[in-house]
Amino acid sequence: MDPVMILIIGYVVIGGLLASLGAHLLPVGGAPAAMGTATGIATGTVQIMLGAVLTGLFTAATVATFTNNILLVALSGAIGATIMLDVVMFMANILYAFGCGVLPISGRVDVDPITKEPQAEYKTPQTDGHGVPNVVFVSGTIGGFVGGFGGALMYFALLNYAHFTAGTAAVASFSIFVANAILAAYNIRGTIEGFHDPKFKRLPKSMIASFAISLLAGIVVVLAALGLGVI
Amino acid sequence: MTVTPAVEEEEGEAEAPKKGLSFKFPYDETEMALIAGIPAAIITIFTGLPAVIKGVGLLLALLWGMDSVRKTSKYGLGTGVPSIGVLGTGYGVIGALMGLAVVEYGAMPALGIYPAVLVGALFMAVLGLVSGYFSNNEKYIAMKIPRLERAMMELGMAGTLAMLLQFSIVTGTLAFQSVVDMVMETGVIAFMFIFTAMAMFHPYNACLGPDERRERTRMVSIEISGLLCIILGFAMLVLGTSPWGAWDGLSLIVFGAIVWFVFFRKFIKACMDECWETVGTGLIKTLG
Repeated sequence: MDPVMILIIGYVVIGGLLASLGAHLLPVGGAPAAMGTATGIATGTVQIMLGAVLTGLFTAATVATFTNNILLVALSGAIGATIMLDVVMFMANILYAFGCGVLPISGRVDVDPITKEPQAEYKTPQTDGHGVPNVVFVSGTIGGFVGGFGGALMYFALLNYAHFTAGTAAVASFSIFVANAILAAYNIRGTIEGFHDPKFKRLPKSMIASFAISLLAGIVVVLAALGLGVI
Repeated sequence: MTVTPAVEEEEGEAEAPKKGLSFKFPYDETEMALIAGIPAAIITIFTGLPAVIKGVGLLLALLWGMDSVRKTSKYGLGTGVPSIGVLGTGYGVIGALMGLAVVEYGAMPALGIYPAVLVGALFMAVLGLVSGYFSNNEKYIAMKIPRLERAMMELGMAGTLAMLLQFSIVTGTLAFQSVVDMVMETGVIAFMFIFTAMAMFHPYNACLGPDERRERTRMVSIEISGLLCIILGFAMLVLGTSPWGAWDGLSLIVFGAIVWFVFFRKFIKACMDECWETVGTGLIKTLG
């Protein structure tokens, strides 16, 4: 077996696992957040992750046109995804605070694990928190970074090791990323706040599924590259 | 508002489906999968066919995907119906790439027959089965949805067939290089991705509720396929790839427009007939 094949499969698997981890770190609010009765961004895991990884792929693809350094490409993807998510979380906070008049409050913990600010007293009864409080913002930033890094890593592997064209590599890595993010979304089931959420403990189960799917997807990509005779 | 006695309501329910019988497939999900999947697979192999026939194949493949989405989402996914449609499309793109990579084996380029592309659909069936197993198994994600394995397998296959049919419509062949040049690098893939996902998830997402009816939901899928055919027809005209000349693209646009108009009208009519009461706002003239 050619070492290049192992490299491709390895990077696809790492990218898939990072996609799964990133999806678990995001502040997903879903429909309740749209009504201001849950913490996070008011849409599903899939949509948030799609937006983040697409932005990440744009920045990664731009950087990949003038460098062959894998770390640089992956980090640029991570930065793109992080900026996108941070802007969305910040704007969500502005809208919640000045539009709805609710405080950014975590619904899952009584005290913010990072800043030690009290949360429970400010929470509206019968709701699950509001907006994007500090700990959730930090968690979302890490999630965007990790997810974007994974997506860009896959893109780099498909572009430079499997020798796909830029467009094909982007579409293929995007598709593999999406499959992994959706499996993670099924594991989350609805809403999650970040690493301090009790649901975060379910992460290993999703990781195992993600590993199997990414491994198979990596094998499919390698077979496709073999069929084309480019590696 | 008057309260109707329960008996009358039941009678009304029993009669209700008869009003919308204008479009009905009397097939259950398994029969539908066979009826849609086999012709779609056969049309995928023959790339020399006119675009309209490929459009019919695309319509069948998307209908099959929508049926799979519907039967899975009935149980509640917990993360919204769109997720599983996007999953199917994502698998479809990977499977289509896989199929295109092995396209040369057993191909007859003179006749435009490429049977090896179906390898991609088989690989995606395996991938879908594995992901369904992991999603449903108690030890892993534990979604506990009956027959999720089969639904994910069908979604992967339907997505792959739909993607391959669209590639075949736009490029007129299934050679990898031409697909890369005309679909991936021109950005037509973005339209394909989102419309395929839309045709699969949007019908059930829009129609779900206590009175959801399979025939009515399927009309939306066919209508979106019509819109997709119009876009693909324009792409064909601009790229000028068809061996049949400009008429191929034009006929696909006309086909798409007719399909869209007929089924959109049917869907609105079915909704009007089956709903309790329609209160017009006067903003848009409805078909009444």
